Amino acid sequence: MHKNFLDFSGKSVLITGAGSGIGKATALYLSSINAKLLLLDINEESLKETLKSCNENCDFLAIDLSDSHGIKNKVSDKIKTFGALDGMVHIAGIPYVSPLKTLNTDTVDKVLKVNTVAALELAKVFTKHKFYNLENPSIVFISSVYGLVGSAANVAYAMSKSALHGITKSLAIELAPKRIRVNCVAPGFIRTQMLDDVSGSFDNGYNDRLNQLHPLGLGEAEDIAYGITYLLSDMSKWVTGSILSVDGGFTAQ
Amino acid sequence: MEDFLEKMAEIMEVDSVNPSDELTSFEAWDSLTTLSIIALADDDYQVSLTNAEIADAKTIEGLHQLILSKQNA
Repeated sequence: MHKNFLDFSGKSVLITGAGSGIGKATALYLSSINAKLLLLDINEESLKETLKSCNENCDFLAIDLSDSHGIKNKVSDKIKTFGALDGMVHIAGIPYVSPLKTLNTDTVDKVLKVNTVAALELAKVFTKHKFYNLENPSIVFISSVYGLVGSAANVAYAMSKSALHGITKSLAIELAPKRIRVNCVAPGFIRTQMLDDVSGSFDNGYNDRLNQLHPLGLGEAEDIAYGITYLLSDMSKWVTGSILSVDGGFTAQ
Repeated sequence: MEDFLEKMAEIMEVDSVNPSDELTSFEAWDSLTTLSIIALADDDYQVSLTNAEIADAKTIEGLHQLILSKQNA
């Protein structure tokens, strides 16, 4: 008799960006399979909205992940009361569409802090003694197809996301002796508010081309949640250092 | 306005621009230039522009007016 890998009863997972988009979809799915969740987002109102639809074992922490120096203490304090974790998923991220010539250094700095530096700070907290459970702990980062392939006017975002691939592989090696697995999901374009905000800058031709880049069409946030769930689950207990493309075929071309 | 003209000259890759210059008259005008204008408006004026709005603005002056009107909205 095989174990039901999709029963997350007894598993605790921290999720950033849980107030909307992929983060919210991941929270709702993991909650539906009985995971105990610690939800993080900058927007407290949207966190409370997500929490309303989750099981009663879930809690939240409103936090600004661009405050790199504040992450360790705030999240550590919360975990002390919430309890040790089995998994952590860093989904929070900010887009930045700008060609090289208009690249604003302050904005680049913020994109890097939220998308990349926060991943390191959160991993630092997760791997602290007694903050993670010893049976199959798993860290999952969320990058992007633009961490794998080039795109004009996306240099800062691409930098922040491809850096996650380096982080994934380095930490996979560094944390293997502790049996902590580290993997990354690289999503294609998903129908989220973030995409709507960005694609408003473009013409219909661009949106048509975007559709053509995905042989299976644009994705749903749940498609990414399922990929994340696999990497959090014991089903992937021998998988570490991998970049899982969940992109409707974007990078298969 | 001076600062705006300077930044537009940088985006259009010319020494200077005039308020009456048509946006499409510059050699550097292409889709990436439009994205540069969108990024400039967002970073310096906290205003969101669309491709269509930029096309409708037609001139450097029109673009400046568009950004100011959106800022005051």
